[in-house]
Amino acid sequence: MEKFETAVDVLKNNLADAIVELKVPRPRKAYILLKSERHRDAVSLLLKHVEESMLSTISGVDLGTEIELNYHMVCGGTVTLKNRVPREKPVTKTITDILPGANLYEREVFDLLGVVFEGHPNLERLLLPDGWPKGNYPLRRDWTPPLIQENDSGSEEDSQNNSEEDDVGSLVSVVVGPQHPVLHEPERFNFTVDGETVVDVKPRLGYVHRGIEKAAERMMYFQDVFLVERICGICNAAHTTVFCQAVEDIGNIETPPRALYLRTIVHELNRVHSHLLLLGVGGHLLGFEALFQHVWRDREPVMDIIEQITGNRLMSGFNTIGGVRRDINPNTVEKALKTVKAVRKRAVFYKNVFEEDATLRLRTEGVGVLSKEVALKLCVVGPVLRGSGVASDVRKDDPYAAYAEIPFNVPCYDECDTWARLMVRVDEVVESLNILDYAFNNLPGGRLRVRVQRKIPEGEAVSRVEAPRGELIHYVKSDGTAYPYRVKVRAPTLANLLAFPDAIRGGYIADIPSVMGSLDPCFSCTDRMAFVDTANGQKWRWSLDDVNSHKNRRVLL
Amino acid sequence: MAIDLIFFVRTLVFPGFLFLLVLVLFFDWFERKVAARFQNRMGPSYAGPFGILQPIADYIKLFSKEDITPKQTNKFLFVVAPILAFSLFVFALFYIPIDGSNVILDSSFEGDLLLVLLLVTLANFGIFLSGWASLNPYSGIGATRILTQFLGYDIPLILLAIGPAFLAKSLSIVSIASSQVTVPFILLIPWSCVLFILVLQAELEKDPFDIPHAETEIVGGYETEYSGRKLAFIKLSEDFQFLIGASLVTVLFLGGFHGPVFIGPAEFWYVFWFIVKTLGVVFILEYVGNVSARLRIDQVVHGNWKLLIPLSILSLALTILVEPLLRSVIG
Repeated sequence: MEKFETAVDVLKNNLADAIVELKVPRPRKAYILLKSERHRDAVSLLLKHVEESMLSTISGVDLGTEIELNYHMVCGGTVTLKNRVPREKPVTKTITDILPGANLYEREVFDLLGVVFEGHPNLERLLLPDGWPKGNYPLRRDWTPPLIQENDSGSEEDSQNNSEEDDVGSLVSVVVGPQHPVLHEPERFNFTVDGETVVDVKPRLGYVHRGIEKAAERMMYFQDVFLVERICGICNAAHTTVFCQAVEDIGNIETPPRALYLRTIVHELNRVHSHLLLLGVGGHLLGFEALFQHVWRDREPVMDIIEQITGNRLMSGFNTIGGVRRDINPNTVEKALKTVKAVRKRAVFYKNVFEEDATLRLRTEGVGVLSKEVALKLCVVGPVLRGSGVASDVRKDDPYAAYAEIPFNVPCYDECDTWARLMVRVDEVVESLNILDYAFNNLPGGRLRVRVQRKIPEGEAVSRVEAPRGELIHYVKSDGTAYPYRVKVRAPTLANLLAFPDAIRGGYIADIPSVMGSLDPCFSCTDRMAFVDTANGQKWRWSLDDVNSHKNRRVLL
Repeated sequence: MAIDLIFFVRTLVFPGFLFLLVLVLFFDWFERKVAARFQNRMGPSYAGPFGILQPIADYIKLFSKEDITPKQTNKFLFVVAPILAFSLFVFALFYIPIDGSNVILDSSFEGDLLLVLLLVTLANFGIFLSGWASLNPYSGIGATRILTQFLGYDIPLILLAIGPAFLAKSLSIVSIASSQVTVPFILLIPWSCVLFILVLQAELEKDPFDIPHAETEIVGGYETEYSGRKLAFIKLSEDFQFLIGASLVTVLFLGGFHGPVFIGPAEFWYVFWFIVKTLGVVFILEYVGNVSARLRIDQVVHGNWKLLIPLSILSLALTILVEPLLRSVIG
């Protein structure tokens, strides 16, 4: 909290001439409108004066005549720096030279809103397919899908067939993905290898884009809760919590304490099963099948508890704007407490395994090193950041739901390698189980939710939660109707992806799975935008009805 | 004529090809079941009692599937290599005395231990060639990994196999087995046996040495491009290799087919004891495989040249040193 006040003071004192408007509507949330092109000064000031400050994301909003770029800086809370560029000639200066972690976010804005960042090292497509027609910026307000023509192809040069031409001397291109056993979701990584050593890697995103940010603008707020839930199955509770928080923030809605506790419970159950899943997958990636199977079996009781509480094994459908949708009964609490105890015993055992198994340590120690400085520069989040020695956790730094009242520790390791990143997750499982224990035992009474009107007053809000994979941020802007003006989602995997080439360069092919696994990538979170199949160049679009239809909903998951 | 009939029955039915095939499928099932139980799973359960027919079902499926030969590959090698590897493994298994003598009667000779090891090495070249002929980056990497790993671990394997041969004063597998009638060599030179099993783990590409087909790194490794019948031959080769590896431990350290003979023909008990001992070896191999993660190729190579080769030389030296003391108990 102190950090946040320093940040605002620093900007007030040193940049008074550039600030047009400064609002601090809530504790630890500031919105600062800057004069055009002054964002670079503000960002470098924050980086200089506030320790461990990072960029969460850049969200672009089409305001009609201008495009507003919101730089969400993390410094204790969130300081949102606003820089407006004219829509006719959307050009601004890059901040990648000050903060390399802005790389992907600037590319995303360039891709989806057509803002050109001068001085960016490689301003290329990020999410949209290579064949996407030029001049089509889906997130501009006046863009509608019918603009896209069949066979209106741009450049297809970066398609999958370029690997052979790149082979020079002993360098061989090994393409991992879109379909590969190491990836459980389709993405493509083009590795250049020399013998068994990885020389370079080029990631390509966008294979599971579903247009959720655009679709969210066309649905009402309460419908959007279910839409954002489907961004990602595993961290669905994180997505709904963060979205509901943002909307409640705009509408000044007070959520009842019981609802806050129930949200915390589902959120933490989510974290436990997500981490157990990753630890199991980690075992599988390292060829430790027995560990994989055992961890996954221990994950099942957690899934059962989620099902008991929310009615669904995976998609909880639990949170809503103003509270939660289901109550929890004492029987379930009793059962859940027993499960928590049993799973904690197993988690302690697994911690032992990860600490003591010789082959596991041989494979993970000193592999995929990401130093603290690099991690901060690249703005990585979550367990990856904590594995690099930065004890940053949104639950502690910027408490939401019931976390301000619940005691817990933030595990943090200084080894900066794959092992540290896995250990952070093992420890977090235990911490989460402790949180659950406390929350179940101290569940306050009272209402489940408050009634909320469909129309949300004009305003904007940034909301952050600590999803299992790291900081998850939603930015919601409302224009006073029942439909949001803009919903921006930045999932943790996008933040961590930039670190992957740095961590793997110089490693072995055999390290690829373990390093990739330790970042815990979730690409369905990362990709949200377009419906284009690059393999056959076929393009299509979905109307709201298509999204709602049962068949496609399965695809959406 | 009568001799010819015995020859054909022995090579084709018992204990030759057909019996070996059934045995290999049984071992495949046992291996899968044991691995599954280690991993808290059921394993094969539906085909036949306890799923014992599952391997047969799998091979029938593979043999009846579409067989694709990719355009870019070296077609001749691509087709021949799996069959070559398979035949060499079967041939090598013919020299393991399962019912008291080799499959081809009286074909045991001084030095057939070396022949078996040679055949296994050649067969692995066949597997290497199958990956190399695929012209796929994953297969290529898998194939080079086989060479790096297999050729390296062949040296300690042969060094360690010499230990029992030295105690038995013979390089014939049958005589080595016969000299363990009173005390199996595992009790006399346990250090050799432990190292042998560890090296065997690498030879059989089991965890922590299953690097050539590390699926999360290089998909299918050398077998990525294979399908249908040719894949079946590769899989069968792997199963045969597994049986050869386990039987080598049995004959070199556990006394082979020797064991108490109760009522009935002695051959029956020979086969019985051989299978029981080999199953025990498979269990140990699976145990080691299931409590370890996969190592990296550089770690495996270092482990071989810096650790296992010096250790196997030491173990051989130790065997030579203690040999006079053990003379009295060797049969």
